Amino acid sequence: MMTRRELLQTVGMGFGGCGLASAAATTHFPVKAKHVIFIFLNGGPSQVDTFDPKPMLQKYHGKPMPAGPNLKTERKTGNLLGSPFTFNRCGKSGIEVSEIFPRIGQNIDEFAVIRSMYTDRPNHEPSLLIMNCGVPLPGKPSMGSWLSYGLGSMNKNLPGFVVLCPGVPVIGSQLWTSAFLPAVHQGVHLETKDKDVRKLVPYITPRRSAEEQRKQMDLLASLNKLQSESKFESGVESMEVAFRMQKEAPEVFDISKEPEKVRERYGDTEVGRGCLMARRMVEKGVRMVQIYHGNGQPWDNHDDIQIHRKLANEADPAIGALIEDLRDRDMLKETIVLVGGEFGRTPSVEVSGLVSHQNGRDHNNHGYSMIVAGGGFKGGITYGATDDFGFKAVEKRVYAHDLQATMLHQMGIDHTRLTYRYGGRDFRLTDVGGEVIHDLIA
Amino acid sequence: MKWLLAVTAGVCLSAAETPAEFFETKVRPVLAKNCFSCHTQTKLGGLAMASREDLLKGGKTGPAIVSGDPEKSLLVLAITHQHERFKMPPSGAKMDEVSIGHIKQWIRDGAVFPEGPGTKQAGKQYIVTKEQRQWWAFQPVKNPAPPAVKNKAWGKSPIDAFILAALEAKDKKGMGPADRRTLIRRATLDLTGLPPTASEIDAFLADKSPDAFAKVVDRLLASPHYGERWGRVWLDVARYSDDKLNSTMDEPRPNAFRYRDWVVQAFNKDMPYDTFVKAQIAGDLLGKPELIAGTGLYGLSPEFQDDRVDVTTRGFLALTVACAQCHDHKFDPIPTKDYYSLLGVFNSSKQNEYPLADKEAVEAWTKKKKELDKAKEDLTNFYAKQTEQLSEIFAAKADKYLLAAQDKGPYDGLDGETIQRFRNYLKKKDRLAKIADSPAVFRAELIAVQEEKKQIDEKNNIRLGGSRERGDLSQADLLSLAPDKFYLWRDFYRNGGVFNYGPGKIDRFIEGQWREHLGLLKQIVETAEKALPEQYPFLHAMADNDKPKNEHIYIRGNRANLGEEAPRGWLTILSPEGGPPRFEKGSGRLELAERIANKNNPLTARVMVNRIWQGHFGEGIVRSTSNFGRLGEAPSHPELLDWLATKFMEKNWSIKAMHREIMLSSTYQMATGNIEGENRLLEQFPARRLDAESLRDSILSVSGRLNSELGGKAFPLEDVKQNRRTVYGYVSRRRTDTMLNLFDFPNPNATSEKRVNTDVPLQRLFLLNSSLMADSAEALDKKVEGSTPSERIQNGYRAIFGRTPTKAETDLGVQFTKAGGEAWPEYWQVLMATDEFLMVR
Repeated sequence: MMTRRELLQTVGMGFGGCGLASAAATTHFPVKAKHVIFIFLNGGPSQVDTFDPKPMLQKYHGKPMPAGPNLKTERKTGNLLGSPFTFNRCGKSGIEVSEIFPRIGQNIDEFAVIRSMYTDRPNHEPSLLIMNCGVPLPGKPSMGSWLSYGLGSMNKNLPGFVVLCPGVPVIGSQLWTSAFLPAVHQGVHLETKDKDVRKLVPYITPRRSAEEQRKQMDLLASLNKLQSESKFESGVESMEVAFRMQKEAPEVFDISKEPEKVRERYGDTEVGRGCLMARRMVEKGVRMVQIYHGNGQPWDNHDDIQIHRKLANEADPAIGALIEDLRDRDMLKETIVLVGGEFGRTPSVEVSGLVSHQNGRDHNNHGYSMIVAGGGFKGGITYGATDDFGFKAVEKRVYAHDLQATMLHQMGIDHTRLTYRYGGRDFRLTDVGGEVIHDLIA
Repeated sequence: MKWLLAVTAGVCLSAAETPAEFFETKVRPVLAKNCFSCHTQTKLGGLAMASREDLLKGGKTGPAIVSGDPEKSLLVLAITHQHERFKMPPSGAKMDEVSIGHIKQWIRDGAVFPEGPGTKQAGKQYIVTKEQRQWWAFQPVKNPAPPAVKNKAWGKSPIDAFILAALEAKDKKGMGPADRRTLIRRATLDLTGLPPTASEIDAFLADKSPDAFAKVVDRLLASPHYGERWGRVWLDVARYSDDKLNSTMDEPRPNAFRYRDWVVQAFNKDMPYDTFVKAQIAGDLLGKPELIAGTGLYGLSPEFQDDRVDVTTRGFLALTVACAQCHDHKFDPIPTKDYYSLLGVFNSSKQNEYPLADKEAVEAWTKKKKELDKAKEDLTNFYAKQTEQLSEIFAAKADKYLLAAQDKGPYDGLDGETIQRFRNYLKKKDRLAKIADSPAVFRAELIAVQEEKKQIDEKNNIRLGGSRERGDLSQADLLSLAPDKFYLWRDFYRNGGVFNYGPGKIDRFIEGQWREHLGLLKQIVETAEKALPEQYPFLHAMADNDKPKNEHIYIRGNRANLGEEAPRGWLTILSPEGGPPRFEKGSGRLELAERIANKNNPLTARVMVNRIWQGHFGEGIVRSTSNFGRLGEAPSHPELLDWLATKFMEKNWSIKAMHREIMLSSTYQMATGNIEGENRLLEQFPARRLDAESLRDSILSVSGRLNSELGGKAFPLEDVKQNRRTVYGYVSRRRTDTMLNLFDFPNPNATSEKRVNTDVPLQRLFLLNSSLMADSAEALDKKVEGSTPSERIQNGYRAIFGRTPTKAETDLGVQFTKAGGEAWPEYWQVLMATDEFLMVR
């Protein structure tokens, strides 16, 4: 049980406990970013069809990889498969972006394109966990939970960490769990298939009028006071917060309040609505919003890489509009927008017996791309490189921990010092790894 | 002064040695013991300490040593705890002064660091040091005499002597006794998870006999609700759930509840804990059918690579053996090999369903199931064949269909639906343009693509050796149609294709003898379905594999990179110095069970009495209840822990006996005061919020809605009509129930050592707006009688709190309910949201 002081502190921070000894006064580093929006293209988007063009791959299309046998991935792959998409030089930086992401292309000068991500396992579950929770096994807190724990929410009437997904991604709530951190830091999962905003937060719909509830709360306060030996006076305060949430939370989640023109720019898709909701939440002080593209793993295109085009048609306008809106509101500088999945895909075609036809790619943990904008990340740069065919990250390799460490750094946190003692050990998001990548940040 | 002497001693001893010898004998062993585990391969903080260069280069904070200048060396500042942040080694005490002196001397002499064996080979020859063996948790359980105390009047049991002596040593004292009403509420919630009824309270208040409270404790321990609460305490450790962790869909285990019920009953029957342990590890090997259900502990595993080792070692032994799967344990004497020795035991066992029906019933069901499967297969095959033949018939006329679909040719003799399908196909962008000018060429393409697909399927089948196993499929190098051909094939021949008519749809084409045959096949399926009864009940349990075998070490936890063999056997640190005994009977589970459920095991009894203590006081004597290693917390009352463990074993591992010992102490019966601080020494009884289950059950109970039926199938907690106790609610690994989640229910994917206890606004939303609160308030409103408002309030207080309201409380209630009507349920709801109701004091 928390002491009364701890309890009051928690309530004072609204949803956030206090991970940093005196978070309000000092962080470890100067604060560059206050929010994170993580657009998770779940399933594993292909790097060689999106942000990592490979002329050699086109040249050797249909042939075995000249550099030797394919690296081991989840399933059997065969000859090289050139990208069916063309890449265009975009922005002032001239960074090449696949034609399937025109709106991201228009805004590429806001993004740092990391082309040298890698992870250890070619399977969704461990890689999803590494990307979200820093370890390949379940049971450790997610990045959003760490941020909520470390920094608290800036709006005591809203949760610090919100997860938007139509349905659930693979392994579901494991990816936004607070694990051993106090449960309040767990991501609040909103089912974006449901357009009824009242269904988004559990028990948010008042059963009685505000006036009746007011009277109930006054009575509660008086009764608790009569039992004054109570050490736990927080009840009344958190009840007051709950009371205010009933009004504020649904308003923030309700995108019907946005002009139709704005909604059109994001696209009337789940990911489009998610990005718009995310913007509204961040404006109101939510620490981290994570948007999963879809139920299950839409980007897992083993059979046919052409499906990437359809998925990009949904994600691209949403991401483009989000970046533009944040920039126009002067919020991009304090909001990290991260886009990517749990791993990439093989440059070679999948030939396993699990595909119906051979026009797709297997999982690739050896090398993949992620893009990140805002929050003090440099725009219009590329970082690191994969080999000639885009199979393996070979230059300036970046593991999830390094990216997490860099993001935390921008939020003012030393990733080695945001720890929580559990079962006798100090745990942290980046486990025992992670180096801040200074070349990525301005 | 003492410190200076020690340094001098170090210098003297070093006088006759070469710098290299000095390093090898005095410094390397110290570094190896204290530093290398984190600072060689792992490089915590960026610092490696495997060579002189490493140390000069240092980590993120700069060089670790300044050659010749120990006082300026970060290493020295860290090990002498003079550095602001780094106090190394990170856990446990400072190094001894002699060792520190050696390190300083070595740096002063230029930090000579010859290359040598040791650092990289550390895993090969694992040696448990004397210091490691001396760790408190590995010492035999002692039977300490209760200490003398100054205040002889306060305590009434040996437990109190241990508690009070520790308080008195710090010039503190324990609180006086709680009032009797508080005490019976505390005890009842503690043992049953339900509040006492007004009449139970009255009876206790009226009982003036000296053993009145002992009678209450005995009554509660005899209640079937006891197991519902304390069984759940164990189910947290056992990471119990009613489903399988499946990435993509819900996969219930409808018989999982049989393990849950077995645990509940084991507590109710006071099964000796050593039996309880053995049953869960090896209940299938004990020759007692009633113990097989215990192996549900593994039969319901979430099936992560390390789960079974983890739940066994943390759950029963409070050792974090799973931490050693990639490297030797960094802090405790657990070599990687130990992890794989145990993994070998579990990998030599399998999950096994034990039917709970007689042999005939099982055989009858299995036979009927086979018949049904066969009938379904026949029907499927028949349909598949018809579908294929029909598509061939259409393909032969594809040119005619193409023309008809464009209204350029006759419709005669063609199927109308198929023409329409063809039209839809042609509507899609660019389709028509892609089709060759000549319908005959298109027809030929369609026929060819079907033929090619057939050939490819046949070749692939040969390559796969007929296998349809997922593993084989994923690794096979198979052929497939070129993408354009594939799309053509898909659009015409696959499910939903123009020429594809599957089961049902195809029926109108099937005539004559074939139609009769189809009818027959369908009828056989229908009959077989009707004949198949519900499956017999079974246990999710364990059995040994026919051929048990040892695991090899997975180097750095990677299954693809195998190291030396790890014979199945016992943990090194709990074995005599000669090395761990091997397990040779079957998988070795039975031998493992016997090693754990053993009076000579220094951990088992201590760990369990500590969990029981935690159940009563919110915190254990060792607060890290599942980690007694060096990174766990030291016991606050080590002698008390041993005394309890001794008592536990003496009383034949009776858990109920331990409840009695604890609850009849003055320590347990203390009042809750207002003392701030950690309360580590137990100056007062620690108050806590009701856990999720007790909260829901208490609300149902006081409103008269609780259905106290015992055991049985899990019910969905979101079904607000089902008012059974929460312990019987469906626990999911995939989606935790919203209410449980909100009130800190533990994650059922891993063993859990304790409930965190938060107080957050989202919980208050539950109290404000949940249907549980609303429905219970309504139910109370119907139930509480009284001719005047104050009489109703009196009766309501009795129902909810088991007491009479004060004048001030009555006045507030009368005032609030003045308007009548809805004000009453609103009032009852507020009472169930008060601190008095939500807290255990």
